[in-house]
Amino acid sequence: MITLTLIILGPLVAAALILPIRRGVPALALFGAGVSLASALALLSRVAVGARPSAELPGLPGLPLRLTAEPLTAVLAAAAAVVGFSVMVYAVGYMRSEAGLTRFFAGMSFFVAAMQALVLAGDWVLLLAAWELIGFSSYLLIGFWFERPGVGQSATRAFLYTRSADLGLYVAVFVLIAHTGTSEISRTLEVNGAAAVAAGLFLLLAAAGKSAQTPLHGWLLDAMAGPTPVSALLHSATLVAAGAILLIRAFPLLPPAVLVVVGVLGGLTTLVAGATALAQRDLKRLLAASTSSQYGLMLLAIGAGFPVAALFHLLAHAAMKSALFLGAGVFQHARGSTQLADLEGVGRARRLTFFGFVVSGLALAGVPPLSGFWSKDAILAASFSSSYAPLLAPLALAGTLLTGLYVARALRLLWHGEGESEPVSGTRWMGVGFTVLTVLAAVLGLALPPVADLLGIEPPGETLLVVALGLVVALIGLALGWAFPADRLLGPLSGLAGTGFRVGGGFDGLVVRPALAFARALDALDRGIHAGVLAVGSAALAVANASRATDEKGIDGLIVALGRSARRLGNRARTLQTGLVHKELLLAAVGGALVFALLIVGSIGL
Amino acid sequence: MTTLTVALVVGAILFGIGLYGVLSQTNLVMIMMGVEVMLGGAMVNLVAFWRFLHPEAYAGQMFVLIVMTVMALEMAVGFGVGTGRFRAKGSVEMEEAQDLKG
Repeated sequence: MITLTLIILGPLVAAALILPIRRGVPALALFGAGVSLASALALLSRVAVGARPSAELPGLPGLPLRLTAEPLTAVLAAAAAVVGFSVMVYAVGYMRSEAGLTRFFAGMSFFVAAMQALVLAGDWVLLLAAWELIGFSSYLLIGFWFERPGVGQSATRAFLYTRSADLGLYVAVFVLIAHTGTSEISRTLEVNGAAAVAAGLFLLLAAAGKSAQTPLHGWLLDAMAGPTPVSALLHSATLVAAGAILLIRAFPLLPPAVLVVVGVLGGLTTLVAGATALAQRDLKRLLAASTSSQYGLMLLAIGAGFPVAALFHLLAHAAMKSALFLGAGVFQHARGSTQLADLEGVGRARRLTFFGFVVSGLALAGVPPLSGFWSKDAILAASFSSSYAPLLAPLALAGTLLTGLYVARALRLLWHGEGESEPVSGTRWMGVGFTVLTVLAAVLGLALPPVADLLGIEPPGETLLVVALGLVVALIGLALGWAFPADRLLGPLSGLAGTGFRVGGGFDGLVVRPALAFARALDALDRGIHAGVLAVGSAALAVANASRATDEKGIDGLIVALGRSARRLGNRARTLQTGLVHKELLLAAVGGALVFALLIVGSIGL
Repeated sequence: MTTLTVALVVGAILFGIGLYGVLSQTNLVMIMMGVEVMLGGAMVNLVAFWRFLHPEAYAGQMFVLIVMTVMALEMAVGFGVGTGRFRAKGSVEMEEAQDLKG
């Protein structure tokens, strides 16, 4: 139980410490990721001998946060920890000359913790929370260079895309909990009937958003605005894997009707994203589109009914694609750009990195004996043994062909041409992370049969025909991609593919514009309420002003007028006092005469 | 015409002359002389009323004595002020004494 919580708590504590301490930040982050890695490996070894540890942390009343270690979650946790630690090591070198390391490593550590929580969650509520948290960390990390133009917009776009799709997960979880009365994942998987179909489709929506499946794949290309370690960890190996992980874990729930949709959507994505990758002019965007396409293959395998094939490819892809991104990061530092035009010939300047890049790339294309060969074979075999083989098998083969094409294209562009390279600092750290992942990408094929044993599931039976077909298609793809430029291969499609099939503002118009219009309407409503409140306030103010005016002009005015008239009377009376004796005597005499006259009048009149 | 009437007319004439003197003169001494004449007129009245109407009462005589005392005191104070004024300004003209206004 302690190992189980340490996997999450290690990086979480590291993130909590990094923010206030702000010193020795990379060391803290490495320590957190290291604790997570060690605990995850310890957990895997315990699960391998049959232990099933679980933990229950206090959560909402009646909904404790359950962590469970099954073979599947233990394997995924170990994979996430290995990639997380390697990328963290690489990031120490990559981010050496960057400002804002505190923000970066805190975000990365927090993401690793949230991702492990997602993988190990034994409870829909915890899974939902972790699902949100990885989306949030992704937003923070894509927007790491928020001061650069367009980066903030990319982060917001990615966040809005995934958030919209996340609604699917909410609905699915509500349906499942309402139907079974429990939030424990393992007990909700027995649902069937209409509820299972609804939950499955909504889960598919959530997974399509997170795993960048058509038509929601646009955000992943924009997510490349973040630093390269972020792309390597979040947007190839872990965050985007969350969608596939969700479907693999929920596989027992999915009825055949939903599985067909999953498989076709995956196949469609692998074509659309593959063509997009072929047309990209930016290395990182090429890799991002390729990520989308590979997750499409995984969904295809799930749809074909073999989640174990999807898991194989997920593990292999995590190593291969992270390694490719890390290599791209080295090239990026060497040329100060990720545009393929600027990167021409960089492979000849940095041969060791290029060698690793080639190994990972060939693994991705499915060349034996590298890991991608085995996992892609499993997917092809799955598609051929599915009951919808005529539909899914051609899609899988086309995906394999496209993979070969864009891998060969990237390698050709990196090898040929000329360009000025700058020296790269921090290569030692970067080299360590890159090497670990490249080696994994090469040899992970050996680990796949034991994983299948551990899960207790038989991988799809491979026939020699399928193996040969897959290999031939991959090699044809590589050869064509090496020989011909992308424009010739795509033909009339190249313009569309370059923009990620954003037909007439298509997917943008589908998601972003309604959301913005809704936001504007709410803004107008808000302003209306604001204006109403202001009007009430100003009316009250007017009443107060009027009453103050009557006070001032009425009562105050009366008192002031009294004082003023008294003063005026005094002024007039003062003019009598001249100081001239005879004048005053005259007044006295006149006054005396008046009194005398009055007395006489009085005595006569009465 | 009785003697009382004659006495009262004499008193009134004296008072009138005194009043004219007070109002027409600007010299302090002359004004005070006017005041004396006015008081003289008043005293003639008092004596006449006592002599012709109530010869048995002494109140009239006492009144006249009091008035004469007041006249003496008034003179003493008035001439004291006049002397002081003359010493300070070299003049007892009342037209020039506006500065005494409080």
